[in-house]
Amino acid sequence: MSVNITINNKPVTVRKGETILDVTNRIGLKIPTLCYLKDLFPSGACRMCVVEVEGYRNLLTACSYPVEEGMVIQTHSERVLEARKTIVELLLSNHPDDCLYCHRNRNCELQTLAENLNVRERRLSGAKNIQFVDQSSQSIVRDPAKCILCGRCVRVCEEVEAVSAIDFIKRGSKTFIGTAYNKGMNLSSCVNCGQCILVCPTGALREKTEVERVQEALHDPELTVVIQHAPAISIALGEEFNLKPGKELSGTMHAAFRRMGFKYVFDTSFSADLTIMEEGHELINRLKNGGEMPMFTSCCPGWIKYVEQFYPDMLKNISSCKSPQQMMGALVKNYFTTVENIPKEKIFQVSVMPCTAKKFEANREEMIEKGIADIDAVLTTRELASLIRMYHIDPDQLEPEPADSPLGMRSTAGKMFAASGGVMEAALRTAYFALEGKEMDDLKINSVRGFEGRKEAKVKIGDLELGVAVVSGLANAGKLIKEIRNGKNDVHFIEVMACPGGCLNGGGQPIGADENALKARMKSLYDMDDRENLRTSHGNPQIKELYEKFLVEPLGEKSHHLLHTTYRDRSGEVLL
Amino acid sequence: MNKNLILIVDDDEDFLLQTKIKVESFGYDTITADSQKQAEEIIVNTKPALAIVDLMMENEDSGFILSYHLKKLYPDVPIILATSVKSETGRGFSLNTEEEKNWIKADVLLDKGIRADQLEREIKKLLKL
Repeated sequence: MSVNITINNKPVTVRKGETILDVTNRIGLKIPTLCYLKDLFPSGACRMCVVEVEGYRNLLTACSYPVEEGMVIQTHSERVLEARKTIVELLLSNHPDDCLYCHRNRNCELQTLAENLNVRERRLSGAKNIQFVDQSSQSIVRDPAKCILCGRCVRVCEEVEAVSAIDFIKRGSKTFIGTAYNKGMNLSSCVNCGQCILVCPTGALREKTEVERVQEALHDPELTVVIQHAPAISIALGEEFNLKPGKELSGTMHAAFRRMGFKYVFDTSFSADLTIMEEGHELINRLKNGGEMPMFTSCCPGWIKYVEQFYPDMLKNISSCKSPQQMMGALVKNYFTTVENIPKEKIFQVSVMPCTAKKFEANREEMIEKGIADIDAVLTTRELASLIRMYHIDPDQLEPEPADSPLGMRSTAGKMFAASGGVMEAALRTAYFALEGKEMDDLKINSVRGFEGRKEAKVKIGDLELGVAVVSGLANAGKLIKEIRNGKNDVHFIEVMACPGGCLNGGGQPIGADENALKARMKSLYDMDDRENLRTSHGNPQIKELYEKFLVEPLGEKSHHLLHTTYRDRSGEVLL
Repeated sequence: MNKNLILIVDDDEDFLLQTKIKVESFGYDTITADSQKQAEEIIVNTKPALAIVDLMMENEDSGFILSYHLKKLYPDVPIILATSVKSETGRGFSLNTEEEKNWIKADVLLDKGIRADQLEREIKKLLKL
């Protein structure tokens, strides 16, 4: 049903039930927002989106007010602009003045609003927030002094991730956002996914940076510094340098790494191929020998901690495979060192991940042997960008270079790990080949592609009908687990990613990406799959070589030691 | 040196006891001190395998001074600085680089709110176990 309204003196016909903001967004009219998050229920907390409507005494919040027949709306009247400016002035009244040192400088929504609304002086001066920076977590740093209480982090944590590590504490002017008993992020139920960082409009949330440690390693003449980059980095990094979203930059990155002093450059998509070999065979093994079903993927460290905390009874259902980051880590430290004859303790291994939880994962006890961690430092895409800027490298001016061998060649199956559904598609290609001895007729499995939070499909492999599910966003995973506990038994293999859409939208990715940028990142991956010839993990010649020369066979003894891991029940450890 | 002995120093009784119980559950022996002064007395005759030291005790910099003395006596004993000074006072420092470690004579800085598995891992890492 349609409704006729007038916006800024122009008549518009709109759908009934839409909010004013839905309409203005659709017709390309910009109304500023702060607490608004697309696809989540509007909270109307910040009042930034207020508009003036004839006949209404108060200004209305566009994000939460549905259109009504005959409404006459002014989105930028004098009263509206004055109200918005006052809101920003009030927010700034107790905000630290350290923009110059803030990691969100020039990419801060509060700063942009202050600029747009022509705030040029501190007209109001409020009492400063006395909460100090919480640096206890290995992944995420919270600076409550910069928090403007928009609540976006709280809502993402609760509604998208079903983790609820942070919430509003106290009321009124005493309100702040904190963890259970205000004990800090490290003891909270935080799974380190970093989605809160992506939605934070200011500098109140950031990753725990390891840039300094990497720099120091690069300057240490005794260390051989090795770097690997996850599949989702090359398609998103360009946005940090104002390049088109989705632009594939692997080759450029390899060149940049070498300029900065990294001795060897490897591609985590290679170890993603390896993960598929191990995980695919584990699935077949479980199916054939009556193992625990369904089997869940294990490459997402946010998901792993989530299960360890909230659903420890499902741990036996999780694949024992390490994530691609950790597989590469173990191979570099235990195989590559022997090939190149470098002592293990003289290798410093850096990984670039789209993810803050990877920092936690690299520090898991299972990933450290005799004091030597497989991965020594984890950088997010954003940290990599700042490192590249520090060396004044212009990615646009670099000639692409290949990664190093023998751990550098990848198939598009490994590359697709960056998207929700990618692990599933890659695994199905390899499982089919392992069971049937031939490739699938059509390697493309459209039903597991796309941004939906949950995708299900049935895949025929010979006589076997395999039920598969792909979920992203941990709230969706939680729902599925509850269904499985209640008897849902038509799924055998489930891929879970904590971040909506998968790693391409990971908590370590460039801040400020809109829906179109995310779509461009995903399209870039699938375009590679259409364009390139090496499309299966089992077809990767360097993977075959690795098995011939070193690992012998999937799920073999060496794999068991280096590529598989264990999990543990954390339900009693964290404050829930 | 007692290869299995960990020295824990903290003026917060609860933290001291909790940490002692945790560390013993990992399979180490412990010796505790509730002040810099007491710890200084212990280390004259006892060389631990590792020390977990609080920062603010009798003085604001007790942990720094104790670490300095400990490293002077036993350069090979790793030190974990366990503190909540950053979240309580807003003062910032880190132990990421060799330069910082030259000033602050500790090996690892852990902000309080430390998980048991994290503490066990850091100990193992430093003792190369």
